[in-house]
Amino acid sequence: MGFWDKLVNLLGFKKKEVNILVVGLNNSGKSTVINHFKNEEEKLTEIVPTVGFNVEKFKNQNVGFTAFDMSGQGRYRDLWEHYYKDCHGIIFVIDSSDRLRLVVVREELNLLLQHPDIYGRRFPILFFANKMDVRDALSSVKIAAGLGLDQILDKSWHICASNALTGEGLQEGVEWLTQQVRELISNRS
Amino acid sequence: MNAFKRDKKEEEEGSGNPFQNIEKTTVLQETRIFNDCPVDSRKCTHILTKILYLLNQGEQLGTTEATETFFAITKLFQSQDVILRRMMYLGIKELSTIAEDVIIVTSSLTKDMTGKEDLYRAAAIRALCSITDVSMLQAIERYMKQAIVDRNSGVSSAALVSSLHLTKIAGDVVKRWVNEAQEAVNSDSVMVQYHALGVLYHIRKSDRLAVNKLVAKLTRMSLKSPYAVCMLIRIAYKLLEEEDSSGGASSYSTLFDFIESCLRHKSEMVIYEAAHAIVNLRRTTSVELAPAVSVLQLFCSSPKPTLRFAAVRTLNKVAMSHPAAVTACNLDLENLITDSNRSIATLAITTLLKTGAESSVDRLMKQIASFVSEISDEFKIVVVQAIRALCLKFPRKHSVLMNFLSAMLRDEGGLEYKASIADTIITIIEENPEAKETGLAHLCEFIEDCEHTSLAVRILHLLGKEGPRTKQPSRYIRFIYNRVILENAPVRAAAVAAMSQFGATCPDLLPNIQVLLARCQMDTDDEVRDRATYYYSILEKQDKSLANHYIVEGLQVSIPSLERALHQYTISPSDVPFDMKSVPLAAVPSAEEIVNPSGKGVQADGMLISTALSGSKVSAVAVTVSREESYAEKLRNVPELVALGPLFRSSDPVELTESETEYVVRCIKHSFPQHLVLQFDCLNTLNDQLLENVRVQVEPPDGYQLVREVPCPCLPYSETGTAYVALKFPEELGATIGTFNATLKFLVKDCDPATGLPDSDEGYDDEYMLEDVEVTLGDQIQKVTKTNFGAAWEEAGDSYCELEDTYSLSSVSTLEEAVKDIVNFLGMQPAERSDRVPEGKSSHTVFLAGVYRGGYDILVRAKLALAEGVTMQLTVRSTNPDVAELVTSAVG
Ligand SMILES: Nc1nc2c(ncn2[C@@H]2O[C@H](COP(=O)(O)OP(=O)(O)O)[C@@H](O)[C@H]2O)c(=O)[nH]1
Ligand SMILES: [Mg+2]
Repeated sequence: MGFWDKLVNLLGFKKKEVNILVVGLNNSGKSTVINHFKNEEEKLTEIVPTVGFNVEKFKNQNVGFTAFDMSGQGRYRDLWEHYYKDCHGIIFVIDSSDRLRLVVVREELNLLLQHPDIYGRRFPILFFANKMDVRDALSSVKIAAGLGLDQILDKSWHICASNALTGEGLQEGVEWLTQQVRELISNRS
Repeated sequence: MNAFKRDKKEEEEGSGNPFQNIEKTTVLQETRIFNDCPVDSRKCTHILTKILYLLNQGEQLGTTEATETFFAITKLFQSQDVILRRMMYLGIKELSTIAEDVIIVTSSLTKDMTGKEDLYRAAAIRALCSITDVSMLQAIERYMKQAIVDRNSGVSSAALVSSLHLTKIAGDVVKRWVNEAQEAVNSDSVMVQYHALGVLYHIRKSDRLAVNKLVAKLTRMSLKSPYAVCMLIRIAYKLLEEEDSSGGASSYSTLFDFIESCLRHKSEMVIYEAAHAIVNLRRTTSVELAPAVSVLQLFCSSPKPTLRFAAVRTLNKVAMSHPAAVTACNLDLENLITDSNRSIATLAITTLLKTGAESSVDRLMKQIASFVSEISDEFKIVVVQAIRALCLKFPRKHSVLMNFLSAMLRDEGGLEYKASIADTIITIIEENPEAKETGLAHLCEFIEDCEHTSLAVRILHLLGKEGPRTKQPSRYIRFIYNRVILENAPVRAAAVAAMSQFGATCPDLLPNIQVLLARCQMDTDDEVRDRATYYYSILEKQDKSLANHYIVEGLQVSIPSLERALHQYTISPSDVPFDMKSVPLAAVPSAEEIVNPSGKGVQADGMLISTALSGSKVSAVAVTVSREESYAEKLRNVPELVALGPLFRSSDPVELTESETEYVVRCIKHSFPQHLVLQFDCLNTLNDQLLENVRVQVEPPDGYQLVREVPCPCLPYSETGTAYVALKFPEELGATIGTFNATLKFLVKDCDPATGLPDSDEGYDDEYMLEDVEVTLGDQIQKVTKTNFGAAWEEAGDSYCELEDTYSLSSVSTLEEAVKDIVNFLGMQPAERSDRVPEGKSSHTVFLAGVYRGGYDILVRAKLALAEGVTMQLTVRSTNPDVAELVTSAVG
């Protein structure tokens, strides 16, 4: 890459394209989160349970995101791995009101982190402790502890409490992710 | 222009194909770039093209390979390139049956089919339906219903056609889309209307009444789409044919009038379809035929080759059934024999051959010879079939025609073509004794250089059968033995078998044959050696009866049944030796199947009406599995009946009700060694009744003992269920023939026609009178083919018992009728074509062979003489005197 390109990159002029993977158990609010990021005219009014996956595009501060919004139902979780190899970031959505399944979340997260296509790669993981509006919802701190996030050493991570229905907390999260992705790309080049 | 020229040249040299040298593993590896971000659409499109090319060339992908490729393709959903996306849908469709977890793209495809980009929508629907299994259908049902009535005609058509495909996996779900399909029939788009009609018909096709209503409604509303009208004509045609065969005539004229009116439609396609339907209708009268034929006649002189082709092809097909009507077009056909389109010319000439006079044969054959080398195999077969028909019609022309055939045999050609020639020569030989020696000579010459093993084997078999009975059997030995030296193992084995036939039938050739067989015992192939050893040791004994049984007549039992029986025997070994008599006999093909091996009666209905196999496949299946074998399969699943032993014979189904009654019942009579099983197939045609405990009560003649009744527990609307009655045959054989009164008995529960669920648990008993069941002698006899009846008869003279009687058959006036009656009555197989009465004879002898249940052989000789009615001297030889007695008394 020439000097000029490098400069452009550093300054964030050139449009960057990244793939991110959106995972988490079913009903945690993944599709609702992604829908929030989309342009007004592309937003869906009704979110139906995802069968398989959907590809959605959105932009944040000049970075183009191609999000693979995966289905979280048991039958499809085993298929996430087909999309690990070429992602540059992960958004992991957790239903913070679903205390019962927090252990399942932990298990799935560990499987993901140990996967050969993920383990050791330096890319950011953003956690949304979603549905914070629900009464009895766990705080993001409790969730981070419950999932043992502090043990993640090979990646940068961040957790935000969010409400995907109103959009609260989402912007903060995606800004962090964008920042991380930028750094990753400029380091790489 | 230059580029075009070069392309053409390259094509001829076989190097014009840019994909010629691509290789599967390389291409699959290239799919890695599908993961790139952002995707390179041009490159990806190119790779997808290669994958599709490979798949369409028949390249096989393993499950893992296919799954990996499939998931790589799914990454392309992120591309916005229309071309790439559409290639992607095709890729998904192609891999949907091989790869695993293909439902992963369900949401993505539903999004595309409902999205804003019209170019994606139809293709996404097609891909979606190919990845959907029954469990996922619920999830997409809503979208499918919407798509069927979509304003975009491409989308609507795609949804309709996909629905048709889905009926294969989930007919019931698709039935729920009937309202949407109904709405789509009103569409302005010609294709949507056509496809909607296809779906509607498919949903209703098992319900005659509903189809009738559909047709009645649509014929009144005058469809816009010519495709839909064609389809409607085909449906109407089918209804007419069914009505014809079931004897009803309620709506015959309305339906016929509709088809007839289509002869005046403005679209040529529709006019042709109507004419085609009318000439093919079994019941068409010559008055009805005339307008249809004039339409075809007009098409014969159309400037459009497709119309000329269609017309002459149709005339060709009906030339045999309506010769007079087709003769009316002779002049037009004559004009077509020089048509620059060779296919049209071939059809025109062969049509003329079928209908023409004997005097024109030579002229037409010369004409055809001038271009036969230029036409494709498919049309050469048409020519061969015409020649076959001619030989049967003008036996005297056999030498011209046979020469023509043998010339064709020497030309290049595929197996099907060569087989049709050989078949024709064989038919000629069988039909016309005078042609036999020349025919065999041609075939001998042909096998000298025949690349098709199956054909060589068949011809060798024929030589073995016919050769020994010619004037000079020795001349065939050399041809046959040459095969042993020069050919592959299957042909050598067939040659060994053929030689043994000569050894068994011609005593003066025996020493030579034994020398040849001894040499074959040194063969490298097991089968050839085994056969040679087998035949050698049998012939060595010089025992006529032994040779008759084990060489000339061959195996009479059905091979699949034998295999099954032997397998059973080895699973549970016993001290009792295996009894060959316990194995059901092989089916003897009916005369109709022999004369008409291509199954002409079977019509291809067009894509939407039925999935009927092509004619040739149907008959191939029919020949290999006998009726008994398929019934035996079914009866084995009825635990109450397994103790009865092997199934001996099953009758044709007999209708016990009028058609179009509340309940339709047909009976099949199964004979076992000691038992009779009556199988009653019952159909419930009342949509407001659920029948339970359905059974048939029979009143058997004296001597029969009721052993078991197996009722059908539950019979919902429009389903067929089966009830069985098992009886023991009377000891006294004479008492086995008789009439059974039969009554259908059941419990009725009234139910809601919409859901089929009963209104309450209460029901009431009811019954329904059926027609009588007749048990005949023929039901207890299985046909046996005797290749050499004379030898068998002679042998039976020593060891069997014999009864003889004379009858006068006053009800018949010709020998042909008498022969037909006696063959049908006894249910035995005429040997050596003795059921054909030569023209102008006043006396004739028929030879019949069969086996009575329990394994008793029967041979019958019936000498018939014409004298105010027909007198018949019947001689019966059987291994069981009671059986002989039964046959002679039953005839009287
Ligand atoms: N109360 C509440 N409901 C939410 C929130 N996010 C999503 N939901 C609801 O949770 C359900 C599942 O959302 P969806 O996006 O389909 O989840 P996914 O299976 O992870 O894609 C939907 O009914 C959403 O409306 C949230 O932050 N608060
Ligand atoms: Mg979702």
